[in-house]
Amino acid sequence: MALLAQIVVNGVLLGGLYGLMGLGMGLVWGVLNIVNLAHGALIMLGGYAVYYLYTGAGVDPFAALPLAMLAMFALGYALQRWLLGLVIRSAQLNTLLVTFGLDVLLSYLAQLAFSADLRTINPPYAGSNFALGPVTVPLAPLAAFGVALLLAAGLQAFLVRSRTGRAIRATAQNLTAARLHGVNPKRVYALTFGLGAALAGAAGGLYGVVSQLTPYVGVTLTARSFVVAILGGLDNPLGVIAGGVVLGVAEAATALYLDPTYVNVISFGMLVVVLVLRPSRIFERA
Amino acid sequence: MRRLALAAAVALLASVPWMGNETLVEFGINALLLATLAQAWNVIGGFTGYASFGNSVFYGLGTYGTAIAMAQLHLPFAAGLGLGAAMAAACALVLGVPILRLRGPYFAIATLGLSAAMAAIFSNLEIAGKNIGLILPLFRGERLFYELSLALLVATTATVAWVASSRFGAGLVAIRENEEAAQVMGVDTTRYKVAALAIAAVFSAVAGGIHAYWITFIDPASAFDSTLNVKMVIMAVFGGPGTVLGPVVGAFTLSAVSELLASRLSTVAAGFYGLVVVLAVVFMPRGLLDLGRGLRRDGWRYFAQNVRRYRL
Repeated sequence: MALLAQIVVNGVLLGGLYGLMGLGMGLVWGVLNIVNLAHGALIMLGGYAVYYLYTGAGVDPFAALPLAMLAMFALGYALQRWLLGLVIRSAQLNTLLVTFGLDVLLSYLAQLAFSADLRTINPPYAGSNFALGPVTVPLAPLAAFGVALLLAAGLQAFLVRSRTGRAIRATAQNLTAARLHGVNPKRVYALTFGLGAALAGAAGGLYGVVSQLTPYVGVTLTARSFVVAILGGLDNPLGVIAGGVVLGVAEAATALYLDPTYVNVISFGMLVVVLVLRPSRIFERA
Repeated sequence: MRRLALAAAVALLASVPWMGNETLVEFGINALLLATLAQAWNVIGGFTGYASFGNSVFYGLGTYGTAIAMAQLHLPFAAGLGLGAAMAAACALVLGVPILRLRGPYFAIATLGLSAAMAAIFSNLEIAGKNIGLILPLFRGERLFYELSLALLVATTATVAWVASSRFGAGLVAIRENEEAAQVMGVDTTRYKVAALAIAAVFSAVAGGIHAYWITFIDPASAFDSTLNVKMVIMAVFGGPGTVLGPVVGAFTLSAVSELLASRLSTVAAGFYGLVVVLAVVFMPRGLLDLGRGLRRDGWRYFAQNVRRYRL
């Protein structure tokens, strides 16, 4: 029983992070109708940014997050403005292929620049934890979970209250009508993609603290982000975090009861089940 | 005239092992097998418009089918190819029915995790040698492997040519262009899509089987190598998805260029593929064959026209 509770705690904490990954992907997908297969690669880059800020400049990983997010925002803005914007009106297959190529390219460049070694961001408090009844709560994952929730709530507030956020939602609902009301779609699309990349960057930094980074983590993280975005629905940032929690708990339970090598199989199985059961959900977004 | 040129090209390719050196034959086998994979992908990705990023799973099943038949059951090579193809076809049918109900990005993402999941399953199977892998009987017949690969590519291309001119192929293109409309017009979309995936699966599996016997050693990581997905998709897209010869031309061109690059700097090939697909989709979305026609017609403005057509 205590073991089960421990699994749930671990799964929930990791799941919050998956939720944050799904958030950026869902935002870009909902507004730009681009399924960004390079999302995982952006997460990976954010992770390395935080890693080098910590090991190179001694910035605490959590303090480095805003810097990494800023850098990733700039990268995302540029990618959308000068690359994805060129193909956005062609068949969806083409945007899939471009982001797929981008994923290959970014993973390759990361391998050149950062080497293929496993990296973990290891601040002094990485191993700390505290007991809560029968379970042990690790401190760093708990903080990561908190940051994920905070960012989700922040995104929600931004989309609902700010003028730019309203322009983003308007563009998602009806591009032509938004244009007639003075929204500049090039700017809004680039901003949205930048925001998605910034969220990916934050998720990457946190992922580097609680897990391991390699230049190749991108693909599996892309698939997870996608499942989570669908589980949570694209209209509700906090719902996406809940979707992440479901995936996190399922994975933690698989690793314990079956075998850690089956985590990928379960992840994939859940992906297919979720896709088959709820594909219509995406189109019901407001 | 066209047929004559094609026959001459095939005859020329067939004579390579008797004229070229060992390195060229080795490169040739790899290029022919990759061209087969790109051509097989073309059936589901190019004609049907379902971007599968998981076709290497069929290749992997082909390698394992062949390896299990030869190393564990001591059957001949042909039986191994048969077992591999049967496993791949079964996988295409079983997986195809649920995941081909998914459209566009849903399908693409569902296939993304396929090779990782299958590698995990095979690394836990006793008969597949767990994560150590299997060793096949040694057979040194580079020429035979080369000619087999060539024959397979010709067979795959002939199948694609048949698809392109048949009622079945017209149904697939209809699905690509507008699936609802195709359904209304009486195309049994699920059956067509599953059949397209099964065709791709069988040819990919045979390519895997030939490669396994040639290399004589397989393990989960090499059999379900996800970089194969990258290569086959990019070669097909670069050459011209949904055309009969495009994927073959694309595969030969990119194999040669990446081989040249690799001889200069061994690590550059992987990044090269990513760059190629990004540039290809932006500047020449209809592939190398259309590029030739477009350049003759419009000159360099061809690229600008492609960009202008799809940008925001």
